Amino acid sequence: MPSCDVLVAGAGLAGLTTALAAADGGASVWLVAKGHAATHWSHGGLDLAAPPGTVGGGEGVALLARRPGHPYEIVAEDLPAGLARVRRALDAAGLAYEGDLASPHGRIPTAVGATRPAGVLPGAQAAARAPWRPGEGLLVVGFERFRDFAAPAVAASLARPLPWAGAPRPERVTAVGVTLPGLAERRNLDGLDLARAFDDPSWRGPALDAIARAVEPHRGDGELRVAFPAVLGLADHPAVAAALDARLGGPWFEIPLVPPSVPGLRLYEAMVAALRAARVAVQVGFAVSAAIRTPDGRVAGLATAAAGRPFPIRAGQVVLATGGFASGGLVATADGRVEEPILGLPVEAPPQPAWLAPSMFDPAGHPLEAAGIRTDRKLRPVGPTGERAERGVRIAGALLAGARALRERSGDGIAIASGERAARLALARTVGALAVPSGPVAAGPAAGPEGRGAR
Amino acid sequence: MTPRVLDVLVVGGGATGAALLRDLSMRGARCLLVDKGDFGTGTSGRNHGLLHSGARYVVKDEISALQCARENAVLSRVAAPAIEPTGGLFVATPDDPPDYADGFAAACARAGVACREIEPAEALRREPALRPDLRRAFAVSDGAIDPWALIELNLRSAVHYGGEALAYHRLVGLQLANGRIVGAELADVRSGSTFRVAPRMVVNAAGPWAGRVAALAGAEVTLTLGKGALIVLDRRPVDSVVARCHPPSDGDALVPVHTVAILGTSSVTVHDPDRYAISPAEIAHLMALGDQLVPSFSASRVLRAYAGVRPLYLPRLDELQPRERAGLAADPAAAEALAAGRIDSRRLTRAHRVLDHGPRDGIANLVSIVGGKLTTCRLMAEETADTVAAKLGLGTPCRTADEPMGGADGGRPYWLGHRLAEREVAGGGDADLVCECELVSAGDIERFLDERWPCSLDDLRRGTRLGMGPCQGAFCTFRAAARVGERAGGRAATATGERGLLVAAGGPSPVEIGRVADGPEPPEPGDGPIGPALVDAALVGFLEERFRGVRPVAWGRQLQEAWFEAGVYLGVLGVDALVVDGQRPCLPEDGRAEL
Ligand SMILES: Cc1cc2nc3c(=O)[nH]c(=O)nc-3n(C[C@H](O)[C@H](O)[C@H](O)COP(=O)(O)OP(=O)(O)OC[C@H]3O[C@@H](n4cnc5c(N)ncnc54)[C@H](O)[C@@H]3O)c2cc1C
Ligand SMILES: Cc1cc2nc3c(=O)[nH]c(=O)nc-3n(C[C@H](O)[C@H](O)[C@H](O)COP(=O)(O)OP(=O)(O)OC[C@H]3O[C@@H](n4cnc5c(N)ncnc54)[C@H](O)[C@@H]3O)c2cc1C
Repeated sequence: MPSCDVLVAGAGLAGLTTALAAADGGASVWLVAKGHAATHWSHGGLDLAAPPGTVGGGEGVALLARRPGHPYEIVAEDLPAGLARVRRALDAAGLAYEGDLASPHGRIPTAVGATRPAGVLPGAQAAARAPWRPGEGLLVVGFERFRDFAAPAVAASLARPLPWAGAPRPERVTAVGVTLPGLAERRNLDGLDLARAFDDPSWRGPALDAIARAVEPHRGDGELRVAFPAVLGLADHPAVAAALDARLGGPWFEIPLVPPSVPGLRLYEAMVAALRAARVAVQVGFAVSAAIRTPDGRVAGLATAAAGRPFPIRAGQVVLATGGFASGGLVATADGRVEEPILGLPVEAPPQPAWLAPSMFDPAGHPLEAAGIRTDRKLRPVGPTGERAERGVRIAGALLAGARALRERSGDGIAIASGERAARLALARTVGALAVPSGPVAAGPAAGPEGRGAR
Repeated sequence: MTPRVLDVLVVGGGATGAALLRDLSMRGARCLLVDKGDFGTGTSGRNHGLLHSGARYVVKDEISALQCARENAVLSRVAAPAIEPTGGLFVATPDDPPDYADGFAAACARAGVACREIEPAEALRREPALRPDLRRAFAVSDGAIDPWALIELNLRSAVHYGGEALAYHRLVGLQLANGRIVGAELADVRSGSTFRVAPRMVVNAAGPWAGRVAALAGAEVTLTLGKGALIVLDRRPVDSVVARCHPPSDGDALVPVHTVAILGTSSVTVHDPDRYAISPAEIAHLMALGDQLVPSFSASRVLRAYAGVRPLYLPRLDELQPRERAGLAADPAAAEALAAGRIDSRRLTRAHRVLDHGPRDGIANLVSIVGGKLTTCRLMAEETADTVAAKLGLGTPCRTADEPMGGADGGRPYWLGHRLAEREVAGGGDADLVCECELVSAGDIERFLDERWPCSLDDLRRGTRLGMGPCQGAFCTFRAAARVGERAGGRAATATGERGLLVAAGGPSPVEIGRVADGPEPPEPGDGPIGPALVDAALVGFLEERFRGVRPVAWGRQLQEAWFEAGVYLGVLGVDALVVDGQRPCLPEDGRAEL
């Protein structure tokens, strides 16, 4: 049975951060996950906290940290260190993230012609947040035959004041469609198909030429910022970005789309690359079903399965970062229970009739969003009266109770901060083990699905 | 402006109104049909989709049984593209009263409803998902019917014969003089403007709203509104309609419809056809019911829940048929009520009635058609049209049972694989899918928009099944909104028009229409063309509408889906920035969510 110092369940931002921080601290680390996470669906930016009425991420975090029972109450102090760690990994992959806790949330355009507040952004999205100067225009570029981005509709919407909610906005917004080489006959293209096409240098050249030709006539007297659907390369994105910089000679940015999220995949791949460099075993496709326990009942590892075969992993410290309802870290049942399916941990949740507000867009969010595992300050699960519910395990990310991540735009920050904290606490308990030069755990099982995450 | 002169104004674009428009147009009358919403947004869009064989009613309501049996055959012939001839099974489980099955078989024979007892083992071979301990099984000719397709067929045929149909037009007033309706006032709910027509006859085919429409002429029509809730499963555990062989309490059946299956129904009396909710108890009841038919039913994924109201007519004492009187007298409780001048509605036939308000209320040119079923809509239309034609002095007989609808291909029934087959042969833009769950192509969307523009995404859904599959719109909403946006881009329109369309997108109730239409101008100085606001409304309204249906069944996989959808539309796309207070399409209670 393989064993390690720190075993992380979940390949979302929380699990990835935990694993990286633990490995950076010298522990031997395994990361196992049932499948891909919110990274693959989300926008690739890092939402730290933008509750209504706040101007910047730091202010948002401070506000939420004062709310009793909010995860930031416990983990906010770990956010700067976690964010710096994640930023290092992303920078190493050439994604050039910008922004920090001090940056104001600008409002950046979305693919339905709305805007959203954004704190930390990948380089390719950062230009969206720069203040709009007098006379500056926005050109939205669409690609023919690509059904997931309708440039004219996006431009028409962004030309109005409404979506900008009072924030500074471009003076004029226009759209242009570009026919990319060789795609006229393709059907049902998604963002990933296009991103892979851009990765190919021989296709990229003519494609970028076509783009530059289409943009050129839209340059008038004033300055112009150009927006693209977020499909500009996956593995080779930095090269695509550099080539586009050279072709356009002016500011441009990407707008994230519906899943599969190309910016989210880049983020995921960058984190996995950092984990591999730190010799972490990353196993996606390994669903965790139960705990391995010491005779006295303490959690001492997890039982996973791949290809139908049981695959137990022993660990000194276990961190559960299996996400909320969207990822299956929490499961709601027809008869009104909310369960944590791996360990059966006690879940804090509102009673069923109050799970969801009548409107999807209720500004207060849905009560069920705050459901999750309640922990002590060391992120160890506790029951309703504060008693320890399980020993040997810590909780990180969206599985924690108390946040309404979507409305607060706090999900990524909580994931990073709690991952950092969980790793720090786990490392503190792993001192003995670290004395043994266990190093990175050799490898996964011979036919392990290592790297399956690359799609 | 002088009001337009018409032969007949038909109020209500449900299955009944649509069939009536066709019937009267074929007889040569100049007719206009109006519906306050899209066609098929009333009870016709919120039912079980079961083309009854009559078997459901043989024991308690022979009139209905006979009508259903006859119309089942007629519709299968004339409305084939809207019908999947699945066949049906009545099964007796150990939970059902054993003697009911014998009575059932005898009653079918008596009523002439085709019914053949088969071995439980044969039933299980046909439908292996059914519980293995079936006691008895009967094969009947139940089928599945797509109400929107049926309405569409009728309207197309009616238009071919010169009929006219207007969606989003509400009858708001009737002017009477000397016992006749001399004018009808119609409001375009999208623009708020009103106009008048001068019909020789008015037919009230307003389903559960029939009482309100009659009241506009000062007539009293009393309806008992029986709400039924239904749940939609993500797949078809059965390919035939499966019904319980027990007294028809709630009409318990599982109906395969397109890619999904629908289980229903509960039955609760409500008072307002616009406001009713689905209770957790109803959902629990339906899940338990499912388990009694298909083991582990409650473990499977429920996509959404919706409800409709049955417009059951409560006749006046002098309108009781002799047979009904006898039925009431036979039941002690009902007899006692009758003696006291009240009618126990549970003992009445579910069959329809044509009310001639001339003799009834002294309004010579108003006729109401009330009660009935989707299955019998053509017959209802025929009888109503007979009454109307007599008053108009039209001698032409009814031909709706003879002429198939649906053009050259009209004889071909619906089959589940049709979309896939179309996608496989189609080239060009047709192969681009907008809704993957239901295989709705870009071409389908564009064709619909060509005919119906301007319309909402919800209208598009009824026309194409967009967003009706497992993801409930998570992906296609975004794509379809973009297509609506492209169309909207080129159109300039007035501010009032814009507000009207906002309303249309959410499928609102009358109260809300009044509120939004009378509200202040939207505070949007730079918002020139109609386009963007329309797209906002389309997106927000459609997401809300789908959410409303998911909410009563938000657990397990479907909650997971809802969470994913919220993450995409709020987190990534920031749709909440487009929701403006007061402009958001207001939503009625949960229950009104459609299929
Ligand atoms: C579509 C979408 C968009 C979002 N957008 C935003 C946004 O814009 N802003 C924001 O603040 N928040 C957003 N969120 C909230 C999001 O939950 C957080 O931002 C954050 O990414 C959560 O990270 P996590 O690592 O805790 O969980 P997740 O990213 O959900 O990762 C959970 C991981 O656990 C794994 N797992 C689950 N069960 C098991 C098991 N039994 N065994 C092994 N592995 C398992 C999963 O496969 C997955 O790898 C969004 C969520 C969704 C679903
Ligand atoms: C839960 C349930 C399940 C059912 N299952 C089945 C089944 O499986 N098989 C079956 O055969 N039957 C079934 N029925 C019965 C069937 O659905 C109805 O009998 C039938 O749909 C009624 O159609 P309609 O056209 O008469 O009424 P509706 O479809 O309600 O049409 C009335 C229309 O009038 C419009 N309207 C109202 N007021 C105005 C106004 N002032 N101006 C303009 N328009 C107006 C409304 O918008 C509406 O569209 C079911 C009913 C329910 C409630």
